[in-house]
Amino acid sequence: MRNILRLSLTLVVVGVVSAALLTGMYNLTTPIIAERKEAEYRESLNCCFPDFDTFETVEIEEDKFDLLYDENGDLIGIMATAVQQGYDGDITYNLAFDGEGKIIDIIIISHTETPGVGEVITTDDFQQQFMGKSYEDPLTAGEDVDTVSGATISTSSMIGSIRRVTGVVAENFLGVESEEIDINSVPDGVYNGSAPGAGGPITVEVEISGGEITRIDILEQNETPTYYIESYPVIPEQIIANQNLDVDTKTGATISAEGIINAVRDALSGALEDGS
Amino acid sequence: MKSDNVYLGDLTRGIVKENPVFRLVLGMCPTLAVTVFIVNGFGMGLATTAVLIASNLVISLFRKFIPSEVRIPCFIVIIATFVTIIEMVLQAFQPVLYEALGVFVPLIVVNCIILGRAEAFASKKPVLRSLADGVGVGIGFIVALVILSTVREILGQGTILGPDPASAIHLFGANFEPMALFAQPSGAFIALGLLMGLVNVIFKRFNI
Repeated sequence: MRNILRLSLTLVVVGVVSAALLTGMYNLTTPIIAERKEAEYRESLNCCFPDFDTFETVEIEEDKFDLLYDENGDLIGIMATAVQQGYDGDITYNLAFDGEGKIIDIIIISHTETPGVGEVITTDDFQQQFMGKSYEDPLTAGEDVDTVSGATISTSSMIGSIRRVTGVVAENFLGVESEEIDINSVPDGVYNGSAPGAGGPITVEVEISGGEITRIDILEQNETPTYYIESYPVIPEQIIANQNLDVDTKTGATISAEGIINAVRDALSGALEDGS
Repeated sequence: MKSDNVYLGDLTRGIVKENPVFRLVLGMCPTLAVTVFIVNGFGMGLATTAVLIASNLVISLFRKFIPSEVRIPCFIVIIATFVTIIEMVLQAFQPVLYEALGVFVPLIVVNCIILGRAEAFASKKPVLRSLADGVGVGIGFIVALVILSTVREILGQGTILGPDPASAIHLFGANFEPMALFAQPSGAFIALGLLMGLVNVIFKRFNI
């Protein structure tokens, strides 16, 4: 009996002393390790944004975004980390945007696509077609970017994912969609605005009267006629009915419809800037 | 004078006569796995030696308090504590080496050199002799790893003091195609076998 006590006591003492030592050591080294990890992370951000001063990390659902600011606190770029289901497993990649939401780099961190086939997503040929594009571009296969034949699933899933991430960036960090325009604060008057559609710029004339949008006319457009009739006059009517820009765009004519909405937004924000 | 000789004997025995790698063939896993570059071999040897010295010291200090029935679990906990400390220190101050050694840092816990010295020496002998033994065996392990990794790095990579480009010296010029075999564990076996043979020949020649 006495022997058993002695044995257990020895083990307890050894365990407790060891645990205490390790706790102390852990508290000592953890901040240093964390600091080093952050320094390494900053180093990795340097590849695309050599001039950044500070950064903050934001997570939106599955995606992670690093917002990079220069010394004056201006947003100079965004590094997105996203995961996309490819042909064979997850593709993890970085998408680097400049301060205006234009894509400046794509870095595939890890993927398990078929060597020599789906692997083209890592090539310059495939990635180069995204450079300089932003939320204002359709980023749609067959329109402004192309899939690679033989690797359609890998490349089209990448295109879709890049379009989605670009949209999330524009919406959350560049204030593109979320910028709520308070129509009540727009002074009465007639304003012009324009935004890109599918066939070139769409120019609109918006009349504000008594804090409400009363009239939207299209001054200039060069959209495909069959698509255009899908969005005009439907979209302006909805905007006037709802008195806000949050209206459903028509499938099949998304770009034309969004062009009209963005042109109205441009007119109103221009009016607000002149007024203030 | 005689006591000096005891310590000196404890110190040198581990380096030459009972070299853990070339003579006792202990600790083969890290020996074969990490000796791709001299830096890695030296780092592994140093980390193991630090754990060995510390565990020899502590186990020898408390050898009278640890009942023999539970000595093995006590030794393992003591060794594991030091290994974990070394692991944290490496991660904090030598992250490149930490990444290179990978899983073999935590595996120092089960390096049979350390438990072997604890069981065969430190648990029976006084503190200073155990310390000398730890230092000696540690140096022997470092020397063996450095020799083996030098051979492997020259043959398998064509460099010395790589992989850091700042210190790497390319021995054979740009057109040299290194023998990739020696960068693999199988090449490590071959290199170790040849070195062991060489060591045996030398020892026989000088009657060690």
